[in-house]
Amino acid sequence: MALVEDPYALLEKWLKAREFIVVGKGIERADAFDKAIGKARFVEDYFDKGVLFVKQVLSEEPHAILEGIDYSEALKIPKVVGVFTAQDIPGENQVGYALPDQPLLAEGKVRFHAEPIALVAAEDIDAAFEAVERVKVKYKPLPVILDPLEAMNRTDVLVHEENGSNIAFRTKVRKGNVEEGFAKSDVIVENEYRTHHQDHLYLETEGALAIPDFEGRITVITAAQYPHLAQSIVARVLGIPMSKVKIVIPYLGGGFGGKDDEGPLVAAKAALVAYKTGKPAFLMYTREESLRIHPKREATIIHYKSGATKDGKLMAIEVKIIHDTGAYTNRGPFILWRASVHASGPYYVPHAKVDGYCVYTNKFPQGSFRGFGNPSVQFAAEAQMDELAKKLGMDPVDFRLKNLLRPGQTTITNQLLDHSVGIAEAVEKLAKKMGWWEKRKAFTEYNKRSKRYKRGIGIGVAWHGISTSRGVPDWSNAYIKIDKDGSVTVYTGIMEMGQGSPNSSHRQIVAEVLGAPLDVIKIVFGTTDAPDTGATHASRGTSIGAIGVLVAAAKIRERLNKLAAELLNARPDDIVIANGKVYVRGNESKSMTWQELIKQAYARGVDVSATGYFFLPKGKFDDAKGQGYAYPAYSYVAVAVEVEVDTYTGRVRVLKAYPALAAGRIINPVQVEGQMEGAIAQGLGYVLMEQFVFDEKGRVLNADMTDYVVPTALDVPVVEKPVYVEDLFKYGPFGAKGVGEMALIPVPAAISNAVSHALGIRVTRLPLTPENVYFMIKKK
Amino acid sequence: MRGMVEFKVKAAHYINKINTHIIPVRFEYYEPKTIEEAVELLAKYKGEAKILAGGTDLLVAMKQRLVEPKIIINIKKIKELRFIEDRGDYLAIGATTRLREIEKNPIVKERFPALYEAVKAMAGTQIRNMATIGGNLCNASPAADTAPPLIVYEAKVKIVGPRGERIVPVEKFFKWVKKTVLEPDELLAEIIIPYHPPNTGSAFIKIARTAMDLAKVNVAVALRVDDNNVIEWIRVALGSVAPTPVRAPSVEKALEGKEFKLETIEEASKLVVNDISPITDIRSTAEYRREVSKVIVRDALIRAYNRIKGR
Repeated sequence: MALVEDPYALLEKWLKAREFIVVGKGIERADAFDKAIGKARFVEDYFDKGVLFVKQVLSEEPHAILEGIDYSEALKIPKVVGVFTAQDIPGENQVGYALPDQPLLAEGKVRFHAEPIALVAAEDIDAAFEAVERVKVKYKPLPVILDPLEAMNRTDVLVHEENGSNIAFRTKVRKGNVEEGFAKSDVIVENEYRTHHQDHLYLETEGALAIPDFEGRITVITAAQYPHLAQSIVARVLGIPMSKVKIVIPYLGGGFGGKDDEGPLVAAKAALVAYKTGKPAFLMYTREESLRIHPKREATIIHYKSGATKDGKLMAIEVKIIHDTGAYTNRGPFILWRASVHASGPYYVPHAKVDGYCVYTNKFPQGSFRGFGNPSVQFAAEAQMDELAKKLGMDPVDFRLKNLLRPGQTTITNQLLDHSVGIAEAVEKLAKKMGWWEKRKAFTEYNKRSKRYKRGIGIGVAWHGISTSRGVPDWSNAYIKIDKDGSVTVYTGIMEMGQGSPNSSHRQIVAEVLGAPLDVIKIVFGTTDAPDTGATHASRGTSIGAIGVLVAAAKIRERLNKLAAELLNARPDDIVIANGKVYVRGNESKSMTWQELIKQAYARGVDVSATGYFFLPKGKFDDAKGQGYAYPAYSYVAVAVEVEVDTYTGRVRVLKAYPALAAGRIINPVQVEGQMEGAIAQGLGYVLMEQFVFDEKGRVLNADMTDYVVPTALDVPVVEKPVYVEDLFKYGPFGAKGVGEMALIPVPAAISNAVSHALGIRVTRLPLTPENVYFMIKKK
Repeated sequence: MRGMVEFKVKAAHYINKINTHIIPVRFEYYEPKTIEEAVELLAKYKGEAKILAGGTDLLVAMKQRLVEPKIIINIKKIKELRFIEDRGDYLAIGATTRLREIEKNPIVKERFPALYEAVKAMAGTQIRNMATIGGNLCNASPAADTAPPLIVYEAKVKIVGPRGERIVPVEKFFKWVKKTVLEPDELLAEIIIPYHPPNTGSAFIKIARTAMDLAKVNVAVALRVDDNNVIEWIRVALGSVAPTPVRAPSVEKALEGKEFKLETIEEASKLVVNDISPITDIRSTAEYRREVSKVIVRDALIRAYNRIKGR
């Protein structure tokens, strides 16, 4: 009998599993103890004596011609080993992810305040600090452009002259005929929404330690989210083959997307110094540098028009999305794409027209952040839904239930959703569980009696495409080997930044599929010694990242079943391997241990190593038509919140949050709850507290943790246990879809809709700081 | 606060000098064991030395190079500066007493609830385990949360120096943003808070961006009412709305001798705008500070009154 090695067949086989050993259980993650006692090591913990300190020279101008960099005085300081500028880069200085517009070190001109210009390396940190001050940069200042609307319409001031316009990139989605859609609509709502930047504010700032000539290659221990991307950037900057670069990503003190953008760059900077000096080099961003340099959540202006019929059917949307991408596009085009194809929210809309603009300004670049363009556009879409419901005299949840996507319907890109669409069921269950309708009425009544304090309840419903947008190739992989003693090592490029996928779900999937005991399974994560697994971003650590793990494990399992069948004289399909015990179904006396089975595999020539490559089947997106394939599947989420607004002070308190999730199989409910709670807290901070303050030259005035504030434990509301609808995704491991970003996405919508309910005023701008809420009430 | 805004702009200008990761300057460090030793060191290094009393403000300022002292004198090893003592008519608190110790002290909680509330609202537990009350006062931030309660309780500070001791009311202690009446060779040794009669009520309220944040505005009130509910004595003080913590005499005058009634309180609270001069900065706007001051003065007065009534 031929062995099954086809990944589709293996995925399908395990998708059908109905009984589980460890999947679906709150198994303790492998790193829990080490992290609790402080044994887990992060980039900075690998720093040792004899390592060079690297410090960056940052631009003091937001927009200027670089007329000269004089570092002769810096080199006179004893212990200063070197100063490196763009001219010292042996390979390419160009590191733009989406468009070739971004240098590693500024060249010719600077485009935002604090843009890195040079690297100083010294034997101790005092010398490095002193040297940075002695580097003299000559600037010829240029006019500064900060407002994206102004930037769009001006060509006399260009952030990138070579582009001929400040519009860096455009997107387009078209479905049906919006004129016809609005003509058929009985109610139309039109508003302009604005959202602001957000910093990731991970506890650990960006850092890298580069060691030259280790194993005959340059090894960089770095805080990044995609080892193979960091590897390719380092190789490109140094002008050497990728095989000569090894990346190790140890535990990360938070990523949230920020280190997906900045991680490869910090690695390349440390690597450049190590390569040029032949000595280990260490660069750690200070909090100020982190806040000033690394890319932020998109700041947006969204013009949104939508129409519905009097019986509550959405007919048309027309959306214009403007993203302030700052000095460089970074991942801006990808972010804009995601925003554009998600612009409708998870609703069926027959007529749609979406135009996106990614606009250069002289600010820090826009970048990846949990939600990736989606929280802002869902905020706008969900505000529109509430306003339409209000005009129709319908309850917001009832109105949504009439329009939520169901299997067999098409999205605004005209992609058919044939399976894994559980959102309508999730919203209905959530509303029933939390008593939505009763609460909404009770709060409305309460507000009639209460003068000072007003209460509101609001919901945000959102969707998030799994994998890269528009059919861009995506794959999974992993390498698994089993040693003679039965211990299992898994190599994956997926890394660990607190989310837990390698140390919880990957391990569980291996234990489930192989039947090996959990405690012999070791996941080696975040390394370029694993096959390219793609990034740990886009909620794909488990959803896509673990497909390779499952496929590799399933291949080995097929072989082991065949071997065990021979040894135990049974049919391969009747072999059960669970928790380290191998036996025949229905006859447990015919059994052996896991260790014995592996010993036999080695003795009898059975390969107990495998890779699990899987290329996601996708369709194509037609950019000219604005239609086509967007994602293999979507995760869906809803969050409802209760708020209380002190109308005398403008202070908004979120009293309680109720999440619901349709993200396929829940592999580890404890991890999922952690992600939901963390995402809600981070979303709450974004909506109520966090904001950057710029001066007239685009300089950030609150680049420190005194004045860039995030929620504390005391600011976070009770988050109820999530409602789950396990709408299995056929290519996901056991049907899992993504979770990590999900609960943040609808939080701006949920809180602002709740505040709008409380006050009877439509929120169209974030953040909802006490000042903004107070003056919003006063203006009314 | 004006200083703070200027600093933020300066920080933005001097991005290549300023950070909060490490202290980029070198200094000499001393650990005196007695007040006498500390005063001697201060006299010796007049003006060049900075006192380390907790470090939660000083070290941040040093990392940001807002201050670059050549000498650091750590007074946390001086045992005689760390105490909370009931001295009959008053409570004495040593300068290096940790905020956490004040928060946990039953007398403070019982007799000086506004101080208890202020301390409890300051940062997180870890910071409160480090930060000291003397440090909070001497740092002279307009937003210092311990200042308004101490002002309304009519507390005084004992200052020691080479010329001996002197006593200064907390209200007179602050001169400007980051400036106090302390001479460079003087040390704040203790805080003296007189007990108030049982018919006194007090409260502290702060408006901030998060639950562990610096104040946008803070207020403390203390008042006494007689058997007919007439306000016999009242003190109102606010922080973060002027270069120093300030009293609100307009509110006090409008209420002294008046019966405690909600309408009277609401009207009088509005007068607070005559006593404050807030500015717009990174944390808030002048207008919001003005508006919300009225609200929290009112709220604090009601809370203090309710305390008298055992509510």
